[in-house]
Amino acid sequence: MDSVREWERVSLPAPRPRVAVEAMAGEWVRTNDKPQWIGALDVRVDGDALLVRVYGGGAGPSPQDWGVARTDTVYAGWLTSGDAAAGAFVARYRLPEADVELQANLNLGLLVVATYVRFRESGPYSDRFTREFFWRDE
Amino acid sequence: MIAEAALDLSVLVGDWRNTNPAAGIERIVCTLSADGGVTVHCSSSVRDWGKVDAPVYAFDFDGDKAGAFSAVYDFGFEEVRLQANVKQGVLVVATFNAFKDDSGRSNYFNREFFHR
Repeated sequence: MDSVREWERVSLPAPRPRVAVEAMAGEWVRTNDKPQWIGALDVRVDGDALLVRVYGGGAGPSPQDWGVARTDTVYAGWLTSGDAAAGAFVARYRLPEADVELQANLNLGLLVVATYVRFRESGPYSDRFTREFFWRDE
Repeated sequence: MIAEAALDLSVLVGDWRNTNPAAGIERIVCTLSADGGVTVHCSSSVRDWGKVDAPVYAFDFDGDKAGAFSAVYDFGFEEVRLQANVKQGVLVVATFNAFKDDSGRSNYFNREFFHR
């Protein structure tokens, strides 16, 4: 079996289980009161994928509303099941000045959101990495 | 990109070894690339992943030091997206692993830690 790591050499029945994307759905709000790149996320289930709406957090050139993006892929917490309680997703956004890849993962009930921001034109800003934390708005 | 080319890459460049001997990725070597980013060379106990060019990112919009990179490996049967950033001298690497074969393995997320 092809693999890139030792632990990937496992024999499992096909097809692979559905990733339980519902674990990541909800309204997520920032854990920090200070201005930050992302202020909140609205994550909804769309079949086997997620629809992710991002709201700016008041820092830098972050638009107030980034719009909705459908996830490229949703990842389980491990390769032997579809449990997404420690899973992750990736979505992409085209903002007025920059292209953003958003990568989020669940960790102990928090949504950890990293973004890779690449500006399409040279200017005052450096391409930037962000990592911010969100809890579910109950 | 001009801003990217000006970033100081010293925080990222180096020979990084996994803090866990039983880890998936054993070693990541980051060297300067011609385009102002880094070239990433990963290896595990089962495979030399080869080298890929990776764009670099600052921690601040007006920052001049690169503290993160992203890289993509496509092995045909599996795609691995690496998200790496240095925190307190440790390279924290999140991987987003998607299988393209019919092996029954789930796409999965993982995090590993590396020291120089």
